[in-house]
Amino acid sequence: MTSDSQDIESATTAMSPVITDAPDSKTRRYDRQLRLWAASGQSALESSRILVLSGTATSTSILKNLVLPGIGHFTILDDAKVSNEDAGNNFFLEGPESIGKPRASEAVRLLRELNESVDGAAELSDISSAIAKGASYFADYSLVIAHNIPYSQLNQLSEILWSDVTLPHLIIVRSAGFLAEFSIQFHEHTIIESHPEMPPSLRLDKPFPALLEHARSLDFENMDVTDHGHIPYAVILVRAMDDWKAKNGGKAPTTTAERDAFKKSIYAMKKKSDEENFDEAVTQFRRAFVETKVPMDVADLFQDQGLTSLTPQSSPFFHLLAALREFCSRPPHTLPLSAALPDMKADTKNYVHLQKLYKTQSEKEKDEFKEILAQSGIGVAGVEMGMVDDFVKNCHGLRILRGKRWGALDANPTALASALLSSPREAATHLALSSVSVLLEQTPQKAITTEAVTAHVLNLLPKGTELPSEVEEALGEVHVPSHSHLDESADLTVSVRSPTADLPNTAAFLGGIVAQEAIKMITKQYVPVNGICAIDLIGCTTGIVRV
Amino acid sequence: MTTTSSTTLRTAHIKAILGNELHSRLPSTKILLVGAGGIGCELLKNVVLTGFGDVTLLDLDTIDLSNLNRQFLFRKKDVKQSKAFVAAKTANQFNPSVRINPIHANIKDPQFDVAWFRSFDIVLNALDNLDARRHVNRMCLAANIPLVESGTAGYLGQVQPILKDRTECFDCLPKPVPKSFPVCTIRSTPSQPIHCIVWAKSYLLPQLFGEDENGGNELDEAEKQGENEQEIATLRKEAQAFTLVRKALRNSQPSANGKMNGNSHASGSADAARLAFDKVFSSDIKNLLSMADMWAHRAPPTPLDFDKIADGSFVLPGATGSKAQSAQTNGKHVNGNGSQTSAPEASSSSSLKDQKELSLQESLVLFVSSTHRLAARLQAGEDTISFDKDDDDTLDFVTAASNLRSAAYGIAGKSRWEIKEMAGNIIPAIATTNAIVAGIIVLQALQVLKKEYSGLRNVHIQRKAEVPLSACSVGPPSKNCAVCRDTYAEFLCDPARVTLSQFINGILGEGDGDGTGERDVSVYEAGRILSDPDFDDNLERTLESLNVSRGKFLNIVDEDGEWGTISVAIGQLPPNHSHDEPAFILPSPLPLPPKIQKPTVIEPPSTPPRKRSADEVEVLNGRPAKRPRVNDAPEVNMASPSKKRRLEEDGLLILENPNEVVDDEPELIAID
Ligand SMILES: [Zn+2]
Repeated sequence: MTSDSQDIESATTAMSPVITDAPDSKTRRYDRQLRLWAASGQSALESSRILVLSGTATSTSILKNLVLPGIGHFTILDDAKVSNEDAGNNFFLEGPESIGKPRASEAVRLLRELNESVDGAAELSDISSAIAKGASYFADYSLVIAHNIPYSQLNQLSEILWSDVTLPHLIIVRSAGFLAEFSIQFHEHTIIESHPEMPPSLRLDKPFPALLEHARSLDFENMDVTDHGHIPYAVILVRAMDDWKAKNGGKAPTTTAERDAFKKSIYAMKKKSDEENFDEAVTQFRRAFVETKVPMDVADLFQDQGLTSLTPQSSPFFHLLAALREFCSRPPHTLPLSAALPDMKADTKNYVHLQKLYKTQSEKEKDEFKEILAQSGIGVAGVEMGMVDDFVKNCHGLRILRGKRWGALDANPTALASALLSSPREAATHLALSSVSVLLEQTPQKAITTEAVTAHVLNLLPKGTELPSEVEEALGEVHVPSHSHLDESADLTVSVRSPTADLPNTAAFLGGIVAQEAIKMITKQYVPVNGICAIDLIGCTTGIVRV
Repeated sequence: MTTTSSTTLRTAHIKAILGNELHSRLPSTKILLVGAGGIGCELLKNVVLTGFGDVTLLDLDTIDLSNLNRQFLFRKKDVKQSKAFVAAKTANQFNPSVRINPIHANIKDPQFDVAWFRSFDIVLNALDNLDARRHVNRMCLAANIPLVESGTAGYLGQVQPILKDRTECFDCLPKPVPKSFPVCTIRSTPSQPIHCIVWAKSYLLPQLFGEDENGGNELDEAEKQGENEQEIATLRKEAQAFTLVRKALRNSQPSANGKMNGNSHASGSADAARLAFDKVFSSDIKNLLSMADMWAHRAPPTPLDFDKIADGSFVLPGATGSKAQSAQTNGKHVNGNGSQTSAPEASSSSSLKDQKELSLQESLVLFVSSTHRLAARLQAGEDTISFDKDDDDTLDFVTAASNLRSAAYGIAGKSRWEIKEMAGNIIPAIATTNAIVAGIIVLQALQVLKKEYSGLRNVHIQRKAEVPLSACSVGPPSKNCAVCRDTYAEFLCDPARVTLSQFINGILGEGDGDGTGERDVSVYEAGRILSDPDFDDNLERTLESLNVSRGKFLNIVDEDGEWGTISVAIGQLPPNHSHDEPAFILPSPLPLPPKIQKPTVIEPPSTPPRKRSADEVEVLNGRPAKRPRVNDAPEVNMASPSKKRRLEEDGLLILENPNEVVDDEPELIAID
């Protein structure tokens, strides 16, 4: 595998030329992903610096999926030389030719070929020497990823990175056989663009004046049949409700019977039986009267500790959130209107008109929001304008995640026991991986047996805890043999000595899923896993152990 | 250390985990990997690393000059080679002991018949289009070979193992009408409308109105590095052609002025539209045509002629009964599916303009006018223009350009309304999801090979942070599936020497009532009906004359719905088959379709034996091979789902029916 080594990887993208080629234009190069995380996400990605501890097959798989979309820089810290096993399972080595060479250098060279705009470096030193340098060594990076590093080093590393909120987040990845887990250590993670599945409210129950006026202005009865079939359902509902209220003393329907009658009144507006826009209005009829409020998830954020302790030094996110709280405290007690109109049955003319109404109103409300912000402690100048726009546009999906230090769970027997009760399979996976990792370090020369691991698992739990069968199953998948099997087959020796060696498909899978979470953290978009994500590739399941 | 011992050590861990038996089988397990794109290459890497030793890799596409992939080309000498070949070569370098047989072809080509599929132990699908996925599903069922199926769209992905009679097949559950189109490629050889839309939106529009390419430096750089000179020359020429068009678009007065002044100023944007047209719809296509090997198994495209289209004298070759023609028909059929059918003729309303399919001439006019409008915007100071489905100018441009490209490739045109819908819902594929999916495919393949069927899972990769992956046990085949509930058989023959009646009588055999023997049946090929009890014109025609050839299926549907459908794959006679013997070999034993449980509901007596009116037969006689399906559809005998499916089986019809697009499901992914 010479310089063609990345052929296969490039060919991966050859299916999608837009990503690999046209290096002259970022937009073109990253076209595909831009549509998923937009320019703001892309620029965050491009300025990111990622440190990866260990040059395993899993590590290089993760990096491949970060280099392709275009991170700024990566460093692999690893002092190992390429072993036979590495050569067989790590695609980012040159097969047997790499054996005996420094693993990090080989991998960096091949990974860099995937994307010339990404900078990469190999650091051929021991993890403990990096740890010895302390926080300043890591401060340069925006994210640290550690795969299968020894338990005690992981402990030290996580402690260093936890010591200051400005230090990079840490993604801990562990795998053995078909089991794996990863978690992200962070103090606080705020997300503006969470890309929620629920679209923002159209606020049809509280139509803004221009919308109401528009709905009233249409002459439904005398309209041309074709035009009638192209009125967007939003307008139909506003009009239907306005008519209803006019006939019912200004009140919206409340009882089931009234609501049915309201629904029937929409049907009655049809001119032809096949008017799909009216069918759509009927399907959506609840939107006309269900009250639009601040979504619960967002309302909860108004109680967040970041607001109660707001200071001028707080991050812009919390100043924006404070302004939003103020905005929502005023009538009509909703979030600022979104300009994003979903598709609805309509012709272009009608749809674009409605879109304009929403856009105008949404601009107006954004201006109100900005006024509030201007009067607040931080002022408009304290926040980048693009961020204000993004914030208002995405305010229905705002999220604040708060994390714990890595290892917090293992230090808490009661929490572990309750995790084992609530999600036995995931907790069992975690316990097995944790115990194997500890034992590997304690007795590196010895075979790790089921008995030893089980004993260690029991040690982590409150006295007298009964292990569910999931633990035994998990140990089977890590492929830790029991004492009785130890001498049966010489083939087992290697796996016994190194139960954490990478399996190609586990590594490929982790490469995808961990890179995806890393991208979420870096771009601050989409909601990352919060807790320990436990993976069982025999059952093909993933689940979260809450920390 | 010897090679053997190092190999042993390298694979010891995998061996320990897979078990000796399975592990020792991997090198000789014959695996077919369909698709060398995003998922396919990940998959190939995993397959090789896992220790499989005999891989056939098939992909239709080339790493092509005419698409955007410049960086990739420059670094490699593999330009214009097939993806399959390049991928195979690389994987082989990683592990020379793996036998990788790359095939650059369409999986639907006739030589990939059931017998060919049967030569594999397992098939892995890494395809990005529904039509091909369904095809492979059916071939694997017919050959009784396990299949692991997959697909991705943005952050979403899916893996499904399929075993005949044991699990659901790809077609067991009706595929929801996709709101979004997972498309990861700009194809040099489009086969569906969506390919042309992606091309117009993501390639042509940015080429003309996007950021400047400034490709010259790279070309120089590549030249310095000694890359293939000829390729560079071609690329340079291509870059220059676009530079010329871009200049014309930006540097001159809007064409309207030009025309009004009767201005002879030759570089107006009118000419820019013409320049662009000639480049992409004429000379680029002519270049492609010059590569004869590309068109061995697929219809070559037709270069378009600006002037002839403008004056209405342009005729797509073979416009009668040709691919283009039937594609058009299919397109209309599609549009006619929903309640909007009645609308198109109805009126002059502007809203309906959107739903109308454009003629070639209308597409040209729209191409020129939208190019002018966009050019005027550039000249008025806009730096770059990118696609926005609510920006009429860009939507018009994409509509026109994609329809022109479709016409050149014999693909059904799309209305502006449909294109808006489709272009707005193209979901990019991303590396992370491909990696996840490819890992799972191999794991499922291993379960299949181990015959640990309890471990089979349908896996979905979803966007929920709580459960990134959801796996459910695979369900049994759906009782009503029109694909996997068919009884499969193989009919080896020389289609030139076998008549339809020989075929029917041969397959039905001599029996009496146990599922064999003469009975009233209809025979279908894909969406076409070839015969039924009231329609026997084709019976004495040869299969070849009915365009039934190797690799195709003939479906024998019981007219009274008493017996299951027999799905017969047409195969090739063995080379030593004597010319004196009948020109076919019957399957042995003959297929025995299951007796269909009659619904217990008592039906009104008028329903089941449906006979066609004389008028209808009249119409049919006019077009023996193709029955007007729209009329046929409502009276389909519902006891025979196969028949219904046959009627639906029109390639991409389900995919792109705009009428079904809106439902109450949440959006898959918010792109904007
Ligand atoms: Zn099925």
